[in-house]
Amino acid sequence: MTSSSLIRTGAITELVGELSSGRTSLMLACLREITGRGATAALVDADGAFDPVSAVRAGVVLSRLLWVRCGGRRAVALAAIDLLARCPGFALVVLDAGETPPRVTLGAAFRLRQAARRAGVAVLLVGRRRVAGAGATLAVRIRRDALAWAGARRAPTRLAGMSTRVRIVRRQGGSCEWSAPAETPGERQWWTA
Amino acid sequence: MVDRVTSIACVWVEAFAAAAAERAEPSLREQPMAVVVGAAPTARIVDANAAAREHGVRAGIAEAEAVARCPHLVRRPASTACVDAAHRALLDACYGVSPRLEDVAPGLVHVDVAGLGRLVGDATAAAERLHRAARSIGLPARVGVAGTRAAARIAARAGLGVVASGGEAEALASVSVKAVEWPDQIAEALSRWGVATLGELAALPRAGLAARLGPAGLAAHDLARGVDDPTPWRSWTLPPFWEEAQELDWDIHELGPLMRVLGRVVERLMARLCAAYLVADALELRLALAGGGHHARTLALACPMDAARPVLTLLEHELGARPPQGAVTAVAVQASAIPRRAVGARLGHTAPPAERDLATVLAHLVTLVGPDAVGAVALADSHRPDAFVAARLDPEAVSATSDVPLDPVLALRRLRPPRRVRVVVDGDQRPSMVSGALAPDARVLGCAGPWRVSGEWWDAGAWGRDEWDVALSDGAVCRLARDLTSGEWYLDGVYD
Repeated sequence: MTSSSLIRTGAITELVGELSSGRTSLMLACLREITGRGATAALVDADGAFDPVSAVRAGVVLSRLLWVRCGGRRAVALAAIDLLARCPGFALVVLDAGETPPRVTLGAAFRLRQAARRAGVAVLLVGRRRVAGAGATLAVRIRRDALAWAGARRAPTRLAGMSTRVRIVRRQGGSCEWSAPAETPGERQWWTA
Repeated sequence: MVDRVTSIACVWVEAFAAAAAERAEPSLREQPMAVVVGAAPTARIVDANAAAREHGVRAGIAEAEAVARCPHLVRRPASTACVDAAHRALLDACYGVSPRLEDVAPGLVHVDVAGLGRLVGDATAAAERLHRAARSIGLPARVGVAGTRAAARIAARAGLGVVASGGEAEALASVSVKAVEWPDQIAEALSRWGVATLGELAALPRAGLAARLGPAGLAAHDLARGVDDPTPWRSWTLPPFWEEAQELDWDIHELGPLMRVLGRVVERLMARLCAAYLVADALELRLALAGGGHHARTLALACPMDAARPVLTLLEHELGARPPQGAVTAVAVQASAIPRRAVGARLGHTAPPAERDLATVLAHLVTLVGPDAVGAVALADSHRPDAFVAARLDPEAVSATSDVPLDPVLALRRLRPPRRVRVVVDGDQRPSMVSGALAPDARVLGCAGPWRVSGEWWDAGAWGRDEWDVALSDGAVCRLARDLTSGEWYLDGVYD
C-alpha cells in the first residue's frame, strides 16, 4: 500500500490504527507525496501533535503545508476540515484526529465528501477509529508488526525502526481512475527511526 | 532625460481636496460639498465639488458666503491625511499603467506612456487605462496625452484628450487662456491686452513679451505653444510601505463603529494595491487615541493577500483580543507590499489555491482557532527540541528535496507541553517502569539510549537532556527525556 494509493481527489480516505501503529508516519508519507510534487496541502491537527522535524525528515515541504492547530477541540477541527475541503487548490486536506476522533454523522460525512468532490480536494481522516462510515471511499487499518533496535542486545543504543502492516477494511469501487492495488491482507512496510 | 520622452500623459484631478474628501466618504458625491479651513467667522473654502461649483461655490470665498450661495452645502474640514492618502493612491494607480511617473503636485501626475504600445495599445488606450485606474481608486481624473508635459497638462485641463506629437501648438491654439492657471501678473496682462486663446498668445512677438513681462512672459509664451520648461523629469519611485489613513470627526469608543471606519480605509488600501498589481505581505495598524497615545498592532499575514474582507476579519479579531485603551481619533493602516505573482499549475498538477480563496479560508480559520494557530512553519536554527518558527505559506516554494528518494521515516507525535512522568530506573540506570505516561503504570519492554543533547550553554538559557526511546507494556513506543538540570523525566512524544 503506497501513500499515493491513499490519496484520491474528491474522495475521503480513512487511515486508522492504534497509537504507535505507524499511522502518523503513513500520513507524513502522504503529505510528502503531495508537497513534494509541488502541490499544497493542509493539516488540521486536533491535538497539536504534528512534529515539524519528523515531517522534514520524511520529506514534507513545510512551506506548502498549512498547519491548523485546534488545541484539542474536536468540533473546531471538524469545522476547519469542512472549510478547507471547500477551498479549491488544496490537493490534500488531512484531519489528524488523534486518539479520540470526533463523532461524525453519516450526513455530515457525505456532505464533506460532496464538498471535496466539488472542490477537487482529497480528504484524509487519520485517527484511532473510523468516523466517516460509508462516506469514506477507502479505509485502511495499520498495525505495528515489530520493532527493531540497534546496538548491543542487552543495552540497545537507538531505535532502528518499525515495521507495520496495512490492511484495507473498506473500498468503494466503480471508478476507472482508481489506482489502489487489490486488497492484500497485511502488506508490510518498514519505517526508519 | 526629457528628450527621450516622446509621449506624456497628464493625469489631473480637479478640485483635489474635495475629490479626496469624496473618496473617503463616497456618499458626498451626491450632494454639494466644500472643504473648509479655519474656524467661523473666518473660515474659507479650500475646494468644492462639481455640484457645489454649479451653485457658485469657489475656492477662496468665505464659508458664510458659500452657504448663502448654496444653502444645502455640506462642509468638511480640510484633512491632510485624506489628501495625502488620495495623492499616494493616484500615484499608485498610475504606476499600474507605467513605471515612469513624475509627481508634480497633489492631483497632478505626469506619466511616460511611450513604449506601451504592445502592452496597452496606442495613446488613446493608454489614456483610457489611466482614467480607469484613477476611477478604480475613487478619483475622477481627466487625462491628456501629448508630446510634451506642458501640452499634456493643458490637454488634460481643456479636455482635448490625445494631442498628436509635433502638433501641440496647433492643437492648443483654440484653447481659452482661462484653462491655464497663470501668475497674477500674466493673467492681468492677458486680460488687458484682450488675449482670449493660447493661439493668440503664441502669436505675440516673443521679444516684446520678454521686454514687457520678463522671464514669466517667456514661460507663458512657451506654455501657449506647448513647449516644456527645461526642468528635468523627476521620477517617482514606489514607497516601501503603503499607507491609508483617516482622521475621525469624533472619537470612537466601540469596536463596531471602528470596524466600519477601518473597512473603508482597508478597502481603499487594497484597491491601491490591486491597481499597482501588488499584494499585502504584512499589515500595521495604528490608532491615534484621545489621550495623545497610540495603539499599534502588527499582523503577519499567513499568505499575501489583496482582499479587504479577510483582512478586516483579521483586524477585528486582533482588536477584539487586544482592544485600544481609549477613544480612537484617527486610524492608519500600513501595508508592506510585494509583487503579485502569476500562479499556475504545471501540467498534470493541481493549481495552488487562488489568493482570494486562500485569504478567505485563512480569515475563517483565524476566527476558529486564533491567529497563532494557523499558518505554515519552518524549522528554527536551533538544536532545542521542537524548535520551529512561523513562516509564510508559499505554494510556489522551490523544493530541494522533492526529487530525492527518501526511506519512509518513523514519525513522532509531540506532546505539547511535554508531560511530566515518574520513571523507575534499574541498576544500569536504564528506565524500567514509567508512571503517568499514557497508562497509569507501564513496564518498559525495550529501551535505547541515552542520547545526550544540549545547547545554549554559553547563555542564560542553557539546557541539556538525555533522551531515551522506550517500548512500553501498554503498546506505546515513546521518547522520554530526562532534564539534566532538574533531573525530572518528561514524555516528549510517541512514535507513531
